[in-house]
Amino acid sequence: MNEFTKALTVSASGLKAQATRIRHLAENISNADTPGYRRKTVSFESEVGRDGRISEVQIGNLHLDQSPLNRVFDPSHPLADGSGHYESSNVNMMIEIADAREAQRSYEANLKMFDQARQMSSSLMELLRR
Amino acid sequence: MFKSLDVFKMSHAMAVHAGTRQAAISQNVANADTPGYRAQDVTPFAQFYNADDTPGSGRLKATRAGHIDALGGQLGGQERRPEQIPDPNDNAVSLELEMVKAVEVKRQHDRAVAVYKSHLGLLRTALGRG
Repeated sequence: MNEFTKALTVSASGLKAQATRIRHLAENISNADTPGYRRKTVSFESEVGRDGRISEVQIGNLHLDQSPLNRVFDPSHPLADGSGHYESSNVNMMIEIADAREAQRSYEANLKMFDQARQMSSSLMELLRR
Repeated sequence: MFKSLDVFKMSHAMAVHAGTRQAAISQNVANADTPGYRAQDVTPFAQFYNADDTPGSGRLKATRAGHIDALGGQLGGQERRPEQIPDPNDNAVSLELEMVKAVEVKRQHDRAVAVYKSHLGLLRTALGRG
């Protein structure tokens, strides 16, 4: 595997990881009002490459955020308890949006590296053309 | 000049170095959100090229250190990269710094390809096929 292939592979793994992250964030946001929903968090892990040099990034285990659920006062809600509260999700929109922005930024950086590796290898191909 | 083709050898080494560095930077960018990851880099080209001692390696000849300039072959201001302060998740990758390095790599690769092309033109001219 030459260096450009390695660079493209590792960038692709970064793109995939960030895309998975965005997908889970979208899931959290769309379930922001689901009663009892716990937000999902993803972790990134660095995988030791087979030749021991280039380490791709991969998604680790999915975790559920164990922070307490929001208690909402709504006596007319079917799930309301004796005091008129029910447990909503523990999704904080602000955190999700900030996380999504960070994921987007990292995705763009990976995309740029991918594009650059592609340009460099195609400039080598240009040498063969005459 | 036509026996060993040092210029081709050197531009080849330069392109290989750029490719290796591109892979390292891609790895850093892909792992920009991995907890505990530290950015990696490869040795600078001059060091990488001159480290190879084998006869016929095209190593650059140099007078003894400090012969021409009193500073021992070094320019006055040694380039110094800022020490990276890790994020709260113990990740020490700065995307901005990686982008700067990526541009350096792109320019180095383009330069290597340009040198190769120009030398190829020279040889073609010598063969009378301008």
